Amino acid sequence: MNKTGIIFFPAFDWSLGEFHPEREERLLYTQEQIFEEGIMDLPQVRQYSPGVADLFDVLRTQAIFPDLQQHNLDAHLIAVGSSLALGNALMKKEITNGFALVRPPGHHSGATVWGNRGFCTLNNEAILINVLRAKYGIKKIAVIDTDVHHGDGTQDIFYHDPNVLYISIHQDGRTIFPGSGFTEEKGGPNAWGSVLNIPLLPGVGDEGFLYALENWIMPAVEVFKPDLIINSAGQDNHFTDPLASMNVTARGYGKITEMIKPDLAVLEGGYAIEGALPYINMAIFLALAGEDYSGVVESQKPQNTEIGGDTIRSFLTDLKRTNEAVRPSWAFRKEPFLPAGDWVYSEKSIYYDTDGFKENRREYIRKCSHCGGTVLMISQKPSFFQKAVLVRIPFEACPDCEQAGYDLAEAFQKSEKTVLLQNQLRNQVHLWTDGREVKPFGG
Amino acid sequence: MASLIGIDVGGTFTDAVMITNGVIERKGKIPTNQDDILNTLISALDYLQISKAKNIETITVSTTLVTNAILQKRLPEVELILFPGTGMKLSSLPWPVDYSVLTGVLDYRGRVVVPADQSEWQTLAEKLNQQSVKPLTAIVSKFSHRNNVFEEQLAAYLHRDVPGVTTALGSQSGKANFYRRSLTTYLNLAATELFQNFAYQLKMAVEARGCRAPIRVLKADGGVLPLAKIRPVESIYSGPAASVLGTLAQSNPEESYVVVDIGGTTTDIGLVLSGSPLISTHGAQIGPFLTNVRSLAVRSVSIGGDSAVCLDQGEVMLANYRLGPAYCIGGVSPTPTDALRYLNLTDYGDLQRAEEALGMLLPENQRTASDLRRTAEIIVEKMVEKIARAIEQLLEEWKTEPAYKVWEVIHHHDDFKFYIQLSGGGAPGLEAALENRMKLRTVLTEFSEVSNAIGAAMAKSTFSWTLHLDTKFSIYRIEETGEQGIWSGPKKPHREVEDFLKELAQTQAIGLGIETDDLEKEIFDYFPLVENYHTVGQIVKGAMHVPPGVIGRIRS
Repeated sequence: MNKTGIIFFPAFDWSLGEFHPEREERLLYTQEQIFEEGIMDLPQVRQYSPGVADLFDVLRTQAIFPDLQQHNLDAHLIAVGSSLALGNALMKKEITNGFALVRPPGHHSGATVWGNRGFCTLNNEAILINVLRAKYGIKKIAVIDTDVHHGDGTQDIFYHDPNVLYISIHQDGRTIFPGSGFTEEKGGPNAWGSVLNIPLLPGVGDEGFLYALENWIMPAVEVFKPDLIINSAGQDNHFTDPLASMNVTARGYGKITEMIKPDLAVLEGGYAIEGALPYINMAIFLALAGEDYSGVVESQKPQNTEIGGDTIRSFLTDLKRTNEAVRPSWAFRKEPFLPAGDWVYSEKSIYYDTDGFKENRREYIRKCSHCGGTVLMISQKPSFFQKAVLVRIPFEACPDCEQAGYDLAEAFQKSEKTVLLQNQLRNQVHLWTDGREVKPFGG
Repeated sequence: MASLIGIDVGGTFTDAVMITNGVIERKGKIPTNQDDILNTLISALDYLQISKAKNIETITVSTTLVTNAILQKRLPEVELILFPGTGMKLSSLPWPVDYSVLTGVLDYRGRVVVPADQSEWQTLAEKLNQQSVKPLTAIVSKFSHRNNVFEEQLAAYLHRDVPGVTTALGSQSGKANFYRRSLTTYLNLAATELFQNFAYQLKMAVEARGCRAPIRVLKADGGVLPLAKIRPVESIYSGPAASVLGTLAQSNPEESYVVVDIGGTTTDIGLVLSGSPLISTHGAQIGPFLTNVRSLAVRSVSIGGDSAVCLDQGEVMLANYRLGPAYCIGGVSPTPTDALRYLNLTDYGDLQRAEEALGMLLPENQRTASDLRRTAEIIVEKMVEKIARAIEQLLEEWKTEPAYKVWEVIHHHDDFKFYIQLSGGGAPGLEAALENRMKLRTVLTEFSEVSNAIGAAMAKSTFSWTLHLDTKFSIYRIEETGEQGIWSGPKKPHREVEDFLKELAQTQAIGLGIETDDLEKEIFDYFPLVENYHTVGQIVKGAMHVPPGVIGRIRS
């Protein structure tokens, strides 16, 4: 029998502010709904208790700057830990799929973290993916992000990773936070095509979403042949969402879930806490559990006129053509600190909307035809004088990239305040503060 | 000096004790007649000679009356009428009984989304009138614990149009979920007449013996209510609660331990954390019925001192049934009790017969002392293994309880130092083997053989009041009583809610005959309700309990 796992962690004592969309009340009505429906009594359902993520697992995937003590991570570590608990259950074959119905969300949190952005501090799915790879040897994972906002954090973390396919379907970044996710963003020099962005016109409803899934997203997943599929299950495409302008229904979400068939779904955004969440969470969960979700009907009815089938079909055809026509172009750069090889350079300014500041980041990636390539990120928060450095040796790194990673870590550890070496190849994490190695985690 | 009387009706034996001032004055065991629980109880009371006792304070019974009636399908039919609204299909869950469905939708805050359709009600009334003279109807709507409007209106309608009808409403036990609330309402109504007759006759029998003491009934959560106040369905599975309370009465108040109560064919396992029994996060399940009856977190294993030992392809097996008492005390089949006797771990029963019993499991040419000893050891090992696995499962259940707040997860499970409290008729002799397997200190409860009856006798009267308040809609609900009332306090209350619930609890406790000296407050959760960046009210969840426990301790 198929088994569906669920962790419900509404973080009833955590909020980002009294009137903030990410407040205690957010999953209150979802709790009322799923508890009253008795989904935990379905014979194929198993409820798990929330976990707390290990800092080692966090740092393998994300660099927390300037240091861990500057952040209150408790709630975030539980959201991550709960996702990991379901991941473990899946790997042990206790369940065939699962839903981490947790707060806070994570998909805006990227490779380097100076604070909370888009309500996210730690990236639940990204940390989960790298745990599944490091602990269970999973090779290829696809993430399908159905949140209305572009999952720029997840994209950032896996931009250079050819073994993680990141697909995001969202409302066009010109009309909504975080302002990214254009179809020209297709992955780094060693991972070109491992990112697929489908920005949609405001107003697209069930029909348009399902059309994009059927004709573009799922075929792309099929070509990639992932070992696992993870759904970043944001719920803000709903017609009642206060922050976005899409027109999807709860039953549409059920259908989306049925088409994606994710091994694990992780809740992301969704802030129509009364109009949408109780219904969408039910529909997603029932679809995962293989139950009929056609009875899940919102008490409000959709009012905006939906963008018609023909409009959305021709829009998507054009967008696909644009996407396919994009050609990579890289800026190569030589620096005294860079080890041998060709290094592609880029710059990024990352806005932290929750606290209102910017991170400036310079990024170097070793172009490599053997592996994902070692990455160097030199990051700075303007108000914080010192720089912080992330060096990442990727999973399955080639010997040259591995050595380049060690050389870079050595080059920076004396000169910069904080240096983090993510050695994904050897499953090690090293952290230096003021030139001294520190052990912020057990084991 | 006033005496407490406790009676625990078990599957095989009924235990009875009379306790005066913490000292056991009388105790005994009589065989249970499962077909006549009332007379079993009366015999137990006679055994204690209540007619001669001067001053009996309370009589508390833990009875299998309702449990048996449900499991043996001896309850009358109830018409189950549902307002399932929208959401999950009814057919997604297994319904052990038939139901009919009516129109009407409520949402998660109790708002009416689609009104009920009274034209359907007329058809229903006609059907009920044709079916039976005195139809029993259980009416349950989804989200009725937030708004009982459909249930109340339909009940009023039926009382007008269906003479002789009895109605029970889901909202009378105002706890999620819809499925369990429906089945619980069904069972409670089905068991009401049976239980009322029983209660009446028991009261008469006690009074006929010149005793005016109040009679109380033990519940699955270890609480106790007066015979006249208990919802019949809440009396199911009180046996394991009795054994946990019995152990509480014989241990230090602050200790943490696993209770292992080994009976004739069943072993019950419970958990006590710093003197408080662990409550299950799910309701009790009885046969095919999932209920919302609050119960202690217990595990039951089909193994006991009288379990039949048989051979399966030359290997010793412990059956999940008994064939009468142990061979060493005159039975027909070898049992774990025979093995314990042969190994001299107890002195209960005849040694010679224990040896014969073990011999029955071996070929004639392999009955040397060392063969017999080895066979006895295997039986004990197998028994202990079964019990140990159940203990591990229960500890796992406790460790993996769901949690919904950051605080709960971060402060999950501070270190408890557990030991094992062993009780029950089948327990003596197993201490060393269990201690060895679990690597936990294991002690035999002093009055092990009547521990359950002690638990019943000394159980505190208890109750809980769980509040759900929505100040935006000015409605409060009490989960346990099903009360739904108007909130006239402030929109953003703080202390006022706690005072309100405390006062309500104290007033209602008097009606239930419960002392509120140790009324405990659970942490209240306040959810500010925000609309368009303004706080428009609050949802407050909180609870007050008179928690399960015992009055005083047994003195040896």
